[in-house]
Amino acid sequence: MMNQGGNTQTVASLDPNLVENRYVVDASQSQTSYLPTTTGSGAVSWNTHVVDNHSIENGSLPNSTYHHEQQTEPLVRNVQEGVNATSVASSSNSGTTAVSQDYSGYTPYLNSSDPYSYGNTGYPGYYSSYQQQPNHSYSQPVGAYQNTGAPYQPISSFPNSGSYPGSASYSGTYYHPGDYQKAGSYPSSSYNNQLNSWNEGNYANYNPHQYTNYPADASGTYNSGTAAAPAPSLQYQQQYNQWTDYYGSTEVSCAPGTENMPVATASNQVTAPGGTVGYQTTNSQPPTTYPLPWQQDSSSLQMPVLQPTAPINGSHDSYWKHGAPSFQNHHLSHLQSQLQKPMESKTLYDNFQEQQKVACPQGPNSPYPTAQQAPQNFQSPPVQTSLLDNRRASNLQIPTNPRIASNLAIGLQKTNKDSSATTAAKPAYVCISMPKPNEKVLSNDAADSILKPGMFPKSLRGYVERALGRCKDDTEMATCQAVMKEIITKATADGTLYTRDWDTEPLFPLPNGEMVNKDSLQNSTPVSALSKYKRSPSRRTKSRWEPLPEEKSINKSASASNDAVKFSGWTHSNEKDKKPFCGNMSKENGLSNIKILLSEQKSANKSTQRPVKRQRVAADGFNALDNGDASSDSDKEQSLTSYYSGAIALVNSPEERMRRENRSKRFEKGQGNRVETNHFRPRIAGAGNLYDRRASALVISKNYEDGGSRAVEDIDWDALTVKGTCQEIEKRYLRLTSAPDPSTVRPEEVLEKALLMVQNSQKNYLYKCDQLKSIRQDLTVQRIRNHLTVRVYETHARLAIEYGDLPEYNQCQSQLKILYAEGIEGCQLEFSAYNLLCVILHSNNKRELLLGMSRLSNVAKEDEAVKHALAVRAAVTSGNYVMFFRLYKTAPNLNTYFMDLYVEKMRFKAVSCMSRSYRPMVPVSYIAQVLGFASVNEGCDEKDTDGVEECVEWLKAHGASLVADNNGDLQVDAKASSSSLFMPEPEDAVSHGDSNLAVNDFLTRASSSTS
Amino acid sequence: MYRIFSPNATDQSSVVPSQSTWIFNSLRFNSMAYVSMGEAHRRITDYLNRFSDAVFSQDAASLKLLFSFSSNSHSLLSLADALNVFQDANRLIKQSDKYSQFGEIIVPLFRSLQNYRIGNLVDAYNAFEKSSHAFLQEFRNWESAWALEALYAIAYEIRVLAERADRELAANGKSPEKLKAAGSFLMKVFGVLAGKGAKRVGALYVTCQLFKIYFKLGTVHLCRSVIRSIDTARIFDFEEFPKRDKVTYMYYTGRLEVFNENFPDADKKLSYALTHCNPRSESNIRMILKYLIPVKLSIGILPKESLLEKYNLVEYSNVVLALKRGDLRLLRHALQEHEDRFLRSGVYLVLEKLELQVFQRLFKKIYIIQKQKDPSKAHQMKLEVIVKALTWLEMDMDVDEVECIVAILIHKNLVKGYFAHKSKVVVLSKQDPFPKLNGRPVNS
Repeated sequence: MMNQGGNTQTVASLDPNLVENRYVVDASQSQTSYLPTTTGSGAVSWNTHVVDNHSIENGSLPNSTYHHEQQTEPLVRNVQEGVNATSVASSSNSGTTAVSQDYSGYTPYLNSSDPYSYGNTGYPGYYSSYQQQPNHSYSQPVGAYQNTGAPYQPISSFPNSGSYPGSASYSGTYYHPGDYQKAGSYPSSSYNNQLNSWNEGNYANYNPHQYTNYPADASGTYNSGTAAAPAPSLQYQQQYNQWTDYYGSTEVSCAPGTENMPVATASNQVTAPGGTVGYQTTNSQPPTTYPLPWQQDSSSLQMPVLQPTAPINGSHDSYWKHGAPSFQNHHLSHLQSQLQKPMESKTLYDNFQEQQKVACPQGPNSPYPTAQQAPQNFQSPPVQTSLLDNRRASNLQIPTNPRIASNLAIGLQKTNKDSSATTAAKPAYVCISMPKPNEKVLSNDAADSILKPGMFPKSLRGYVERALGRCKDDTEMATCQAVMKEIITKATADGTLYTRDWDTEPLFPLPNGEMVNKDSLQNSTPVSALSKYKRSPSRRTKSRWEPLPEEKSINKSASASNDAVKFSGWTHSNEKDKKPFCGNMSKENGLSNIKILLSEQKSANKSTQRPVKRQRVAADGFNALDNGDASSDSDKEQSLTSYYSGAIALVNSPEERMRRENRSKRFEKGQGNRVETNHFRPRIAGAGNLYDRRASALVISKNYEDGGSRAVEDIDWDALTVKGTCQEIEKRYLRLTSAPDPSTVRPEEVLEKALLMVQNSQKNYLYKCDQLKSIRQDLTVQRIRNHLTVRVYETHARLAIEYGDLPEYNQCQSQLKILYAEGIEGCQLEFSAYNLLCVILHSNNKRELLLGMSRLSNVAKEDEAVKHALAVRAAVTSGNYVMFFRLYKTAPNLNTYFMDLYVEKMRFKAVSCMSRSYRPMVPVSYIAQVLGFASVNEGCDEKDTDGVEECVEWLKAHGASLVADNNGDLQVDAKASSSSLFMPEPEDAVSHGDSNLAVNDFLTRASSSTS
Repeated sequence: MYRIFSPNATDQSSVVPSQSTWIFNSLRFNSMAYVSMGEAHRRITDYLNRFSDAVFSQDAASLKLLFSFSSNSHSLLSLADALNVFQDANRLIKQSDKYSQFGEIIVPLFRSLQNYRIGNLVDAYNAFEKSSHAFLQEFRNWESAWALEALYAIAYEIRVLAERADRELAANGKSPEKLKAAGSFLMKVFGVLAGKGAKRVGALYVTCQLFKIYFKLGTVHLCRSVIRSIDTARIFDFEEFPKRDKVTYMYYTGRLEVFNENFPDADKKLSYALTHCNPRSESNIRMILKYLIPVKLSIGILPKESLLEKYNLVEYSNVVLALKRGDLRLLRHALQEHEDRFLRSGVYLVLEKLELQVFQRLFKKIYIIQKQKDPSKAHQMKLEVIVKALTWLEMDMDVDEVECIVAILIHKNLVKGYFAHKSKVVVLSKQDPFPKLNGRPVNS
């Protein structure tokens, strides 16, 4: 810790200088270039900056960042999979923060120089496929961007430009390494991932989420951004336009502030200014969207400091959302902030603050000062002033945080506070000062509340309280807060904050405990390491989404990793820092973080050179881990992508595989790491829902396959028929929500055993039903239609009849009809009798009955069971109760069970008939005998009396009036009874109409299944 | 005309190709070979002229003939041959505005006719449906209902063609689905007609065609929506529909009531159909009687034997006889003998319920005999006597079962009186112990 802190401080000091210097230079360059040649020149200048940054960053940070990113990506994926909205939100915190930051960093890079090249090169290397897509989309945006940017720049122009240059320089120095790398890696990985993988399946969801978030944050601009998300290019352009406006402002503010803050928040700032461009070019939608939000926020918020920050927060949120994969993490952070903050702006601020805080704490004091300086500089130049300032401030804080986070964890807090104090907008930042995520959040919230008290409706406060009241511990609380933040920001963005009825608003589901735990763990780990570390995880998560640039990543990844670490640290610090580290990822992340920290420290010691060295060191040390993680992540990604979309090809491209293999070879520890990751993954999946259920199995299998250097594509997912490999005889039924996993499907031999097991089982029907359903499922997915299938259905149908489970019986019967029609031999006659009985006694559909009867063959009519069924039909239609109960006693097979369900009705009919026809009395003993109360065995008096007693009970329950005659035998007074008979409510009736679902049964089932 | 089956005396010819079809089929190859291009061209333009003239002069009767494939008219068959020779009929249609405005109707119609001629009924159906859709579109645009007759022809043809196409599909091992498609097309036609205005008068015809399809497919539950639309539309008096459609409609709705065992309503509807049916269309009368007789029996009205013989409904003879005699054995034998037929027509369950009336008749006979022996004790009927009588009828029923029957008879008000369990005696009411149903159904 000490070392790190020292390092960070040194770094910070160095960084500030560097940053400042660079900024100045950049500003001048960028300003000049920007103003005149808006797009082109700007791009050039940016490029140069980017390059510089990259080089530096790449050298030092890349490895670590990449690794982190990879890790983060997996997490994000998990989050995405598991939790769509809420969980996503939580995950998004980490992911988003990282992403956003990364993006910002990236954006500058991309924008300036060869965003594409960057993204393409670095990313391509890692995720060629991913990058390509993103790039395309981005390229369009870039064009728009530049165009828009040109006008905008003029407006805010100089100041902005100045800031931009500064940002560029910053990025070059501190940020560049980390941010750029991260950005590069992030964009490619996270963005690409999001875009690619999510596009197919999840992506759509994510985008919407993200976008929604965006809109919420910056209502106007965000909306556009959100819209853009669905249609990347178009939206982006719009965003760009907005951005341009924003850029003008944002760039100014952002550039300075962002540059200062750059690495951590830099992304945000960067995103705004250069970020937009870069994003457009590189990552495409997500980045662009991010920048836009920021800009918008800044513009809209510019006036009021707090508000601006809020927008910024919103933008962050949106970024997080963009990080969709990482959404959950982000959300968590948001939640924290939100929780603390009743107000939307607060939430945003909180997020930022949290991020910033994280960064700040981590970030040495020096970074903040630098950041502050940068913002100040920026602010002063542009007239945009307050807005810009605010933005800058926010930006600055953020950047500082990242930097700090990466460099120095704790010391920065003070600086942050200072910065916040200095800048009007910074009040929100004050919150940042919180060293610990939670605490920070709280402080942030407090600050927010202070800043914007009364902003939120009371009902909303109540809502927040309710939501928070559910939380059991701090981590949950943090998650909740993040979610709340998101909700509130969204609401503000839509303008529904005040119109919505918060009193009736349903509470969002609590994020998974695991997630929280993970977060907490991650947090703890980072904390232990350093606050910076924590922050870094979040970035990592984000990076994970990005497909982890694999090969290039080493260099770039190192830089990226640093950035990522910082970012992740930020995000993690917010809330999700812990998450990534937790569970599977947590270890890796923690390791990577630690390593990164170490590397950072080292680099810090080395000061100027630190990025490269650090990165390398980190990369070397952690690459193995990271690679392992990355591979696992990538595997997951692959699985997900393949699963969801057709984008599989991209991920699984031969190049990718080659890269992975190379990587794994490079790093000795890689495999070990992989193993760990594999272990972890399952845990995560099981624990956290982070992974989609569907995906989890696939992921696991894929992981295994990856171990054998098998690509996911090799699996024929389209094959309709699955060949099961599961050897477990017992298997619980779970309705499939995705393609079946062969490893959980039992082959025919095993199913045969399973059927035997069920048949011989002493357990209750619900257990057997469950087992048989799973057998049926396995048969179905394997398309097994033979004698075994018939036997399974027959077995199940019989059990269902015995238990009186008509719905299940009907399912089996309809399947059996088809199977019999296919010529598969079974107990057709027995079941045609059941079918008849079922129609007669339960559906009472005359046409169906006629149809069933006319379909009976002569052979069938000779069958005992069918004859019996027909006789029952005749008895029922004529109301011949004597015949009915005789048939009831002589029923073959399971016919009795069908009749059981009709006995009550028949008895009542009979007694009402008797009470009408008989005078004056009917002996109970006769009724008991005729209506089947007495047992079949004649001559046994005991049983007969039992039957009589039962009959008496029954008659009493149905309102018959009983009288004793001279001999003391009970008689039914027919005349009196004829008017008093009634059908009592069934005692076992349950409100939902299915006594099978009664709680008692459920409990016995649970106990029996556990026993 | 066969009222019940609507205007389609051709119904049977659609099932079995008429003799003329065979003749034309045998001539087909010759004629195809001998039809010159000029002759083919002449025939096609002739058809096109007739079509456009019929439309412009609003001559539904002429237009109707142009759609009536199943009439196997010479002109249509020769046109089909001409189409097979002159392959470019479509160009002919497009050449003139006069024809081309009906291109959407005629082009698929020609294709359908060609396929119909060579016995490719599935393709013929598909093309005909397409043409029908186009015609319906045109019909919708015509303000007056002049073309109703032509639409009737189409509705009839599409159903008959669909039935034949389904047979072809089934023969090829494919799932028959054309009749279902025809049903959904006719629902569209119904939708066009069912509104207000003059076109509404055609709705019942389409409804009847739909009934035929639904009964054939066994999807009678689909009838309900159509019936509701007809019954609830107060704007249009039911009596204003054409008589033949009313008869058909009542016949089918009466059958539905038989399924529901709603005998009074079934009696009403089927009686309406019977009284309004063309008295010369014996087969239609027979179809009505097939359901009306069981309904009447259920409410205690027995037909004359001459009626059963006249309309060849002798399967009911023994049932009626059993009712008259109170011969349970005869009833059961009769039911068993014609079980398949009764099950298919759906009256089996109705006839089975007559058993109670047979019991009533039997009891009444015993009562009359007892009365002759000893009028004072006639109203006390010992259970053992009944058992003895049943045993004589070879009905193997023990005392408990007979007691149950007695209880049911009393419960259903077929016998007035009570049963004394202790003494095992049925005590009959002294006044009208065996009330007649007189048009009321047995209490259920």
